[in-house]
Amino acid sequence: MAPPEPSVTRAGLLRRGACAAGLALIGVPALVAAAQSPEQDVRALNLLLMVEYTESAFYAEALQRDALSGELRSFAEQVLEHERAHLSLLEGVLGASAEREPQHDFGDATSASDAFADAAARLEDLAVAAYNGQAANVTPEAFAAAARIVSVEARHAAWIRSIVKRDPAPRAADQPKTEAQVRAGLEDLGVRL
Amino acid sequence: MSGTELDLARVDRDGAIAETRGGLSRAGFLTAAGAGALLALAPRARAAGLSKTDVDVLNYALSLEYLQAAFYTESERSKALKGRAAKAAAQVGAVERAHVQAFRALLGRKAMAKPRFDFQGVTEDPKAFLKTAVAFEDLAVEAYKGQAPRIQSERVLAAALGIHTVEARHAAWMRYLNGIQPAAAAFDDPRDKGEIDRIVRATGFVTAKPKMTTRRKPKYTG
Repeated sequence: MAPPEPSVTRAGLLRRGACAAGLALIGVPALVAAAQSPEQDVRALNLLLMVEYTESAFYAEALQRDALSGELRSFAEQVLEHERAHLSLLEGVLGASAEREPQHDFGDATSASDAFADAAARLEDLAVAAYNGQAANVTPEAFAAAARIVSVEARHAAWIRSIVKRDPAPRAADQPKTEAQVRAGLEDLGVRL
Repeated sequence: MSGTELDLARVDRDGAIAETRGGLSRAGFLTAAGAGALLALAPRARAAGLSKTDVDVLNYALSLEYLQAAFYTESERSKALKGRAAKAAAQVGAVERAHVQAFRALLGRKAMAKPRFDFQGVTEDPKAFLKTAVAFEDLAVEAYKGQAPRIQSERVLAAALGIHTVEARHAAWMRYLNGIQPAAAAFDDPRDKGEIDRIVRATGFVTAKPKMTTRRKPKYTG
């Protein structure tokens, strides 16, 4: 069970109704915060770890299958390096609590360049939404680690979208996704959670 | 209800946003900002329940959004940009203006007024425009990341995080147009306010910083 909250946390402030009076800013829904605790960090960071496992496996497989050329190839090479660094950071924070890498079947997405580009854009957008969705759930230490990663995921998203001539930043504010939505998004991409 | 929809005429009573909209029609503004899914503003919420720290963080974010919005608006007006850069300036400008508007609506009478800017010609030169845009967007990412841990309200945090990643998308987009790495490193680090302020001051782009709007003078609050 979660330990009692300290007297002032973000979640506590919310529950006491501070600032609850309809502060609808640019259409971003309120984050549904769970009480912050080391246990909650493990849950949130393991979800983000699944995202990073997926990204690393996805780019590694596309490069290994030699499916990409030109801009897409240099994108995949650079981004794979970043995702591996993110993975190590999260594994390091989680230590023995890190869950194992899930199985996956990415299908055409790692063997045909159009399917790759489409899946990469979905994956990077999903990563941004996953990190933003977990931000309120974690302790300040975990928050700081995740914050260094999330904007890089957003850069990747805009980069792949630029390459395939899609709108790099279609919204004024990115929408967070819940754990269930993130898991569903990963499963849609071929991850078996 | 209409009270929660974006209504520029009602929200922007002093006309500052209408003024910075430049050549964009209202329809263009809304489309560029992401159409109906965005900008549900609640005028009654003005600064209600915001802690002193959150007001401080929001005003700081507002100051950077003013800078960006003015920069893109002026670039768009100068008509010096062509092709993809012109399109990006128009779209990103509309989004930065939407951020300004959202923060002002949220802060109400506690919102700082818009400073004066002098962009010293960088808005009239496509190369200088792109270099400056990259610098502004990378700086915004660092600034939001630096402030996020201070935010106390859940709603403000959600908005700030959603904007933080949009600034990162803009940074990557402008870098791509400029022919440089959109994501140069595996990690983005925060930067504190003092350092950001020094960088902004060094540009000389901000020529006059207005005082906070006062209670006596409801010019910016309606």
